[in-house]
Amino acid sequence: MPSRETVLPVQRGRSARFAILALAAALLGGCALAGPHPWERDLMARPEMALDAAAVDGAIDDHIYFSKEGATGGRGISGGGCGCN
Amino acid sequence: MQLSRRRQLSAAALALLGGTTAHAQTDRSESSLPAQFDSGLLWYQENADRIRDLEAVVSVRQPLSEDSGWNGKLTIDTVCGGSPIGAIPSRSAQSFVTPTATSLNPPVAAATQTTTSASGGGGGGGLDNLSLCTNPVQNQKYTVAPGALPIDQSFHDQRFALSGGYDTAVGTRNHVSAGAAISHETDFFSLSLNGLLSRDFNDRNTTVAAGLNLESDTIAPVGGTPVPGSRYGDFRKTGDQSKRVEDLLLGVTQVLSRRWITQANVSLEHAGGYQTDPYKIVTEVDAQGFDAGGIYVYESRPQTRNRYALYWDNKYALDRDMVEASVRLTRDTWGVRSGTVEVRYRLNLGAAGYFEPHVRAYRQTAADFFRFYLPQGTVTPGYASADPRLGGFTGQTFGVKYGLPVGESGELSLRVERYTQRGTDRSSALPGLQGLDLYPGLQALIVQAGLRFTF
Amino acid sequence: MHRRLIAICALMATLVGGPAAANGTIGDSLDLEQFKGKVVLLDFWASWCAPCKASFPWMQHLQQQYPRTDFVVIAVNVDHDRRLAEQFLQAERADFSVVFDPQGRIAERFDVHSMPASFYIDRSGRVRFTHAGFRNAERDGAEREISRLVAEH
Repeated sequence: MPSRETVLPVQRGRSARFAILALAAALLGGCALAGPHPWERDLMARPEMALDAAAVDGAIDDHIYFSKEGATGGRGISGGGCGCN
Repeated sequence: MQLSRRRQLSAAALALLGGTTAHAQTDRSESSLPAQFDSGLLWYQENADRIRDLEAVVSVRQPLSEDSGWNGKLTIDTVCGGSPIGAIPSRSAQSFVTPTATSLNPPVAAATQTTTSASGGGGGGGLDNLSLCTNPVQNQKYTVAPGALPIDQSFHDQRFALSGGYDTAVGTRNHVSAGAAISHETDFFSLSLNGLLSRDFNDRNTTVAAGLNLESDTIAPVGGTPVPGSRYGDFRKTGDQSKRVEDLLLGVTQVLSRRWITQANVSLEHAGGYQTDPYKIVTEVDAQGFDAGGIYVYESRPQTRNRYALYWDNKYALDRDMVEASVRLTRDTWGVRSGTVEVRYRLNLGAAGYFEPHVRAYRQTAADFFRFYLPQGTVTPGYASADPRLGGFTGQTFGVKYGLPVGESGELSLRVERYTQRGTDRSSALPGLQGLDLYPGLQALIVQAGLRFTF
Repeated sequence: MHRRLIAICALMATLVGGPAAANGTIGDSLDLEQFKGKVVLLDFWASWCAPCKASFPWMQHLQQQYPRTDFVVIAVNVDHDRRLAEQFLQAERADFSVVFDPQGRIAERFDVHSMPASFYIDRSGRVRFTHAGFRNAERDGAEREISRLVAEH
């Protein structure tokens, strides 16, 4: 069976450029990488602002979409929160 | 059926690392370090006679100090119902046998299914499926009506998975976590180890992390492993198979402002070994698209698969509410490319709880070797699979979650969602396949209750 | 360390308007001049900070251990919304001075890099120890540092 080329170089470059721009926008949007002062983490300390706030929901969703679709994963590490201790 | 329940590096890392930052908020006075309990009960049900699933998840995190703790998670799952076998609908009735059969005419009496194609499923099939999975059907022949998507109703599986880990701070700005997971299903066994290292910068506004997940699986298909590409009905079967998966995760989390946190992850995965679905077949048709009255071959997939994913998540705190938006792009060496966008809006109502509507849009391109059918007489088809999960389709999820605070820091929740898959390619120009819906897609209802508290 | 010395000197003058707090009560300003001759535990806290909450019983215990002529706890609150701090104080015993710093100006002057952050200031007004965060395991060591400073004259 003849195999198709994987992603064409142009398409690959396009999605990589998008990713870099998106990341740059996110990082630059907040005035360099410094972020707020430690005493300004009040809103980040809200439980729903934790990146893994709905861990059980996320695990269940990951399982459903893993079983029904061809792509997986992505979600990852923590960070954020109140930044205490 | 091998529905690989591989522990995602991501999920393990979440369980292991999450507690040290976000959960540090919910404590009592004195020096108590309360443990967290989080659980969910899922009812998943597809339309018509397709899959239904009941799953319970319980997870606990016990801090050992302000900077360390251990965690454990138990998942029990029972799935049954109809699963498409990969053969396409035909103008005439088709007969198949369940995986444990050793001949095309097993001694047990045949059962005729009149399963309609999924798009016309309607309400009748849905509510009938509320009964829990009964004993699996063994060694049986079943007939599929003309025009209907061939579905094997004998699918029945129970999964038991346990994972645990330990995490600790190292110095003032580093964290390390390690864990292991084990999962057992009727035809699948998995063992994995994971580790994660992270470091904080900028007064904990920036976190950089790297994680590794190593997994080893044993696949023991019900009825034996069909020789990939062999003819359906020859019953050429072999023994157990294995595969190994390695995942690498690199991520950065950045608190951009008092309100906005963002996270970007890159993950790389290499899987080597048996990755074919042992229960799926591909129909052979002639040049006009007419089948030869029941010629099928078992599917065959490559032994290696490399996957790449880029994930970007954002959470933004409004004065009362919160909004989350994420994007994920993936591609792999099987030719599958996908894009996912998810948005959640949390409407906080204080003591009355919160409502959180959710939308997810997914799009996937078919694998290189995805085929609806194969040309008749294909002796060595190379790689070919008609598994709808490797086809081109779009997925839409709409749902809402309601949460109610209970006790001091607990929460009771209910989530209801509707998931729909639509094939992007559903028909063929071939005369023999006119009027047949080759990719009916699916609709599923997701209902999940949750309970979380500290103790 | 040097940065903190400069900061502490800069802060010897009264900050922010409002009446200077009498011993053990609440105020809007921080005038460390009036505490010269006493050991001061200057602590930055917020209602949303869990380890801060855990530290209150300990600070309460410390304040009871020494006469106020020798040692005072000053807890600087950095909540944006003062009401959240007041709700917190209703639930936690705090028989020590509380100062409100919603704009974070005092925190900024002290170059606070953690939550909670505490500074142990000796009788002559110099910052001698800083603690980032609050941990049970560090309590004993911290108490020894305080008693050392109190013992100095």
